[in-house]
Amino acid sequence: MAEKNDNLNSKLRKYTFKAVKATLKGILFYVLYIVLWMMFLAPVAGVLPGLQRMIETFVMIYVILIIVSELTSGTIFQYFFDAVKCLFMIGYLIMALGGGTMSITMENVNLAVDLHVFLGIIMLLSLLGLAKAVLQAINFMSEKAEPPQPLPL
Amino acid sequence: MRVPIRMISVATTVFWIFLIVFAVTAVYSVRDVSFNMGEPQSTLTQDNMMILSLPFTVANRGFYNIGLLSVTTQISDEEGDLIADNSTTLPVVRVGEQATLVHNVTINATDFLWRNQNYLFDDAMFRVNMSLGMRIAEVIPVQVSTNVSMPWGAPFYNFSLGQPESAPFDLTHVLVAVPLSFENHAFFDVACVLRIQMYNAYGSLVGDTQTSVSASQHSSYNGFVEFNVPQDEMTNTGRFEVLFLTPPFDSGQLEVHYG
Repeated sequence: MAEKNDNLNSKLRKYTFKAVKATLKGILFYVLYIVLWMMFLAPVAGVLPGLQRMIETFVMIYVILIIVSELTSGTIFQYFFDAVKCLFMIGYLIMALGGGTMSITMENVNLAVDLHVFLGIIMLLSLLGLAKAVLQAINFMSEKAEPPQPLPL
Repeated sequence: MRVPIRMISVATTVFWIFLIVFAVTAVYSVRDVSFNMGEPQSTLTQDNMMILSLPFTVANRGFYNIGLLSVTTQISDEEGDLIADNSTTLPVVRVGEQATLVHNVTINATDFLWRNQNYLFDDAMFRVNMSLGMRIAEVIPVQVSTNVSMPWGAPFYNFSLGQPESAPFDLTHVLVAVPLSFENHAFFDVACVLRIQMYNAYGSLVGDTQTSVSASQHSSYNGFVEFNVPQDEMTNTGRFEVLFLTPPFDSGQLEVHYG
């Protein structure tokens, strides 16, 4: 009975720790977004009307994925959500940036920004993140199948 | 497996930080770039080229250089036919530098007026498609474009020959004085030799004269042309044929009826 209670307590501690870690990571990411927004992007938001909504939607979904990924840490699902994060970033940016060309028309003035290079770099970095998630998943499965042996002295 | 994963993590993090810092500073940097457009200048050269000049001043107080700063202008008429276009490029505006760019658009006045001689007599509104392009931090291409209207002032607006008034000259001829007036709405001064032929009601040429007219920009001209016409060939009705002899107005031909 005491052993069962210990086990329950240990699981509870583990999940609480995961939840706290996930919350902290989410808050940290959101704080980083707020700081970047206040310092650099807020003045530009006046010129680009849809920018704030676009970034907020991205941050919201990304924070949810961070939290879910953290909550599932220690399982194969963590790497699944890491991969989803990378794919979401690629897909969302392609969609939000109109394939790499942003165009805004205000009264009689049209502003077009070509972000193909920028988008290309983000995609490469996201693909690198995806490769990392796949490698981590393979590593996790292989370690689970065959626990690491201590090196012979 | 853990070492390569760790290496990928480190590399990805470093590149992400670099990219975010670059993107944010590049956007922030644009705020410190100021553009000033000077007063547009229009001139007509000796060789009948109309030059429209637009001076730009760019002050780069941002963090990065600005690459390939270019100004492109396309002028088209009301039907959308291209009249003139030009592009002026500055390879780089370095950090802390103030650069001046003079963008010129040249229109061959002779060709332009030959293509449509209505521009000699009627004001018009041209469409100007203007775009300013640059590469922020020499990497991110940005283009701002706009459409504006540009008025064209006719050099011989409201050109008219009034009712001829005749007075006896000798026993066989009369002196016919015809009032001539126009308004110069153009941005340049007009000086032109006109050849005016007078035909009577039967279509016979009864008088032929040449006269010089001149009017500075945005002013009116009022004068007279005189013909020595045989008395017996003078009729109350008829027509004048006006030929503009001085380039770039030599495309002009006009028929004005009197009486």
